[in-house]
Amino acid sequence: MAEKYGVQNPVPPWKTSLDGLCDALDHASCGTDVPTFKERRDEEDVLSSTLYSSLPFPENQLVSLAHSLLVRGVIDEAELEQRLSTIRNRLQS
Amino acid sequence: MVDEITDFEVLEVALRELCIEKGIFTAAEHRHFTEFAEQIGPTPAAHLVARAWLEPAFKTLALTEPMSASKEVGVNWMEPTGFGTPSDFTAFQILEDTPTLHNVIVCALCSCYPRPILGNSPEWYRTPNYRRRLVRWPRQVLAEFGLYLPDDVAVRVQDSNQKHRFMVMPTRPEGTDGWTEDQLAEIVTRDCLIGVALPKVGVTTNVITDTRPAVHPIAD
Repeated sequence: MAEKYGVQNPVPPWKTSLDGLCDALDHASCGTDVPTFKERRDEEDVLSSTLYSSLPFPENQLVSLAHSLLVRGVIDEAELEQRLSTIRNRLQS
Repeated sequence: MVDEITDFEVLEVALRELCIEKGIFTAAEHRHFTEFAEQIGPTPAAHLVARAWLEPAFKTLALTEPMSASKEVGVNWMEPTGFGTPSDFTAFQILEDTPTLHNVIVCALCSCYPRPILGNSPEWYRTPNYRRRLVRWPRQVLAEFGLYLPDDVAVRVQDSNQKHRFMVMPTRPEGTDGWTEDQLAEIVTRDCLIGVALPKVGVTTNVITDTRPAVHPIAD
């Protein structure tokens, strides 16, 4: 994207929002199956170097997080898929 | 400006909204953490607002001569010192909130922002997500930041452009009686000056200085 549009920003615009999302998750105190900070970061390291090694950073961080949340049942695949479509429509409306 | 929306941008919003719906955290908490990731500490504009709250004469100056008021907090719009863009904008206006009017700024066309006094613009401010939607669905977009305004408060969206820049002067919140200018400036965060958050006692973007003691302190 950066190349395509001649943009020089080192990270995409959603990166700080992802950082906010990770901080909010790490500080969440409710009893669901949300990964702890250590679990989230360890999984991110493993997934980014294996399953998502073809993605650059921070896309691999984002997708690893989605993976961690799905695998734990915090979100499920069907609702995520639905939500992706709803949001794309909303952003392009 | 880049108007293409990648699947990754959509995925980030999706994960965030699902977590919010499941009560894992609130939209306001996410907004706060994101702001902290980009802007630490009060901006000159925060001091401008704090002074306006404390001194009625300065508040009048801020609303009638914003350039002069800016100079009093150390910002000269004719010489933006690195934060300004190299254009010739000098029309700057401060929008006063009242108990029945809430202002919020945007630049629908690109992402014009009062950088000399506010610092760099947020990443989200520059995305089509914000620029395309705030003017048409302001309350919905504000809700996505965790800001819910009652129906008796009007919402006014101010579009910026190359020649005109704006910032918001929020109303002073409860619980701040007897506060100094510095204390007040701490709670007037960047997002409050844009209009996507309201100043609240205890909500700042100050550096977190609570640390745990060193495992091997230097004296060892």
